[in-house]
Amino acid sequence: MELISAFAGGLATVMQPQTLLYCFIGCFLGTFIGVLPGIGSMAAIAMILPLSFHLEPTTALVMIAGVYYGAEYGGSIASILMNIPGTPSSSITCIDGYPMAREGRAGLALFVTSIASFGGGMIGMVVMAALSPALARMALSFGPAEYFSVILLGLVAASAVSNGGAVKGVAMVTLGLMLGTVGVDLTTGDLRFTMGVPELRDGVNLVIVAMGLFGVGELIASIRANAGGRATSVDYRSNTWPTRDEWRRTWGPIWRGGAIGSFFGALPGTGQTVASAVGYAVEKKLSPNRGMFGKGAIEGVTVPESANNAATQTAFIPTLTLGVPGSASMALVIGALMIHGITPGPRILTDHPDLFWGLVASFLVGNVILLILNVPLIGMWVKLLQIPYRFMYPTIIVLICIGVYSLNNNVFDIWLTLVFGIAGYLMRLFRFEPAPLLIGFVLGPMMEEQLRRAMLLSRGDPMVFLDRPISAALIAATLGILVFGLLAGLRARRRLRLAALPADE
Amino acid sequence: MPGDATETSTDAAARPHARWGAAGAVFLIALAAVFMAGGLELGLGVLFRPGTGAFPFFTGAILAALAAVTVVQDLADPGLAERPDWVSFAAIAAALAVFAVSADRLGLVPAAFLTTVVASVPDRSLSFPGKAALGAVVAAGAWVLFIQLLGLPFRALAFDLFGGA
Repeated sequence: MELISAFAGGLATVMQPQTLLYCFIGCFLGTFIGVLPGIGSMAAIAMILPLSFHLEPTTALVMIAGVYYGAEYGGSIASILMNIPGTPSSSITCIDGYPMAREGRAGLALFVTSIASFGGGMIGMVVMAALSPALARMALSFGPAEYFSVILLGLVAASAVSNGGAVKGVAMVTLGLMLGTVGVDLTTGDLRFTMGVPELRDGVNLVIVAMGLFGVGELIASIRANAGGRATSVDYRSNTWPTRDEWRRTWGPIWRGGAIGSFFGALPGTGQTVASAVGYAVEKKLSPNRGMFGKGAIEGVTVPESANNAATQTAFIPTLTLGVPGSASMALVIGALMIHGITPGPRILTDHPDLFWGLVASFLVGNVILLILNVPLIGMWVKLLQIPYRFMYPTIIVLICIGVYSLNNNVFDIWLTLVFGIAGYLMRLFRFEPAPLLIGFVLGPMMEEQLRRAMLLSRGDPMVFLDRPISAALIAATLGILVFGLLAGLRARRRLRLAALPADE
Repeated sequence: MPGDATETSTDAAARPHARWGAAGAVFLIALAAVFMAGGLELGLGVLFRPGTGAFPFFTGAILAALAAVTVVQDLADPGLAERPDWVSFAAIAAALAVFAVSADRLGLVPAAFLTTVVASVPDRSLSFPGKAALGAVVAAGAWVLFIQLLGLPFRALAFDLFGGA
């Protein structure tokens, strides 16, 4: 009952005209960016951050969340019509979506993915509403040692499973932690690593780091990815409505995908792509039509879309209740909230219930908006795919420049974005993933503060992290993930080396 | 669809060896050394009360160790890195530089125009007048959206070639 009244309060917040408008803007922009292959929700959130600073916190969060899950909806469109995933997680949708399109069932595939995305989103929303208060209550007993350990767990989980391998992932997180120390030390007031540049007194702006690493870096990579022409002649207008049998084959995967996605979304470091992949693998095992998988099975587009949308909603659980983001996008959400003077953590439910429940309710409203945008208005997005990318990317770079310039009306920020953009592209080339860097950058100052407090309270005894049971369990989990990541990396390297042997001989 | 293709000469560029990733790791070691030295200078403090330099020093030390492992790993990596697109890389970097140089001196509208034109250099299918037209459309759009509609405090036009705003 308490949950329902809290949710109703959130719904009242999100139905206010201004919040509703920005929820729509967020969903629209998210779908727009999701449709464009090569540019992910990270870049979209980074671009929209400067605008969010001018908004009231709940409205800003609702808009950013709309971009985040809107990109997942949009990502499936290019996957199905062109076999090019708009977002990493929609790559799984390509497996059956594109064969469906080639069989003349593109309309059906697009319709089913929208329904599955909606279903998954709703399951994720219910899980978030049900679990978050309990998790927040538990986290209220956390002291600095537990906070330090949970941040450490989040950082390691987000980096140890990165594409470039565990060592590179953890190195990137550490680099992020280091960059987070630039500026004034809030405890002592001393300046650190500002090199006499007054613009660095407050540290490097989160928007600049995100825009450079993701906006500029991804944009450069996307130019060639989109160079081969983007027109699609697939018929998406006919055969849209599922038959009774197709409806029957859709419900189960929506539920299963939603459950799997909700679980993996809430875990740091896994996210939507893992959720989609696991959902697909599980469905392939369970489905009586498993022989059809990879050849245009309707279950094959339903389950990954349901899973990745559920995961986008539950990713907010640790982000808001513990203040620990599981992904770089969530790190940006934390950054945006902190710029508004709100520190995510267990107190957010008691101190800012309108913000928390407004966000939860916005998932319902936003998913309805996305259903409208993606079912009756699907033609608009298909037309967008037909616009040559040569017209789009110069426009996007101008938007990035103006977004960064609007932060302080200072061109120094543009130069700094250029530096991070160059770094982002070079990192991409040599498999240094930038996402862990961003997470480390956001969490670094918090981690340092909790470490100092823990040391002060324990009178300098580092055993405080192992003496307290929750902290010890978190440290053990961190070590477990680290060992798993390292072993997985070693196995992958051995496989690569073995694969390269015949070529050398 | 040849008319839609952006510059693809870089497609012929060879994929660099993944070994080059070691150069990035060496750079990280140098950066870590800077932070460690800075941390020492700022003061490490004591366990009871860590100093201003403690966190950067220890994160620097961890980064240096991880980067050293990465050097070894990358040097032994038999694979290839992603194929670079240096033309797009240079064009986008130049576009950002052009915006940085022109935003204060010329104003938002010329800066947006020049940035668009420079960013579209990799696209050989678009003639220079086409690029200029695209730049004009983007600049006009930026003026309408950011100055007229959002009311952001940018100067649309400013001809201050020798200084800043």
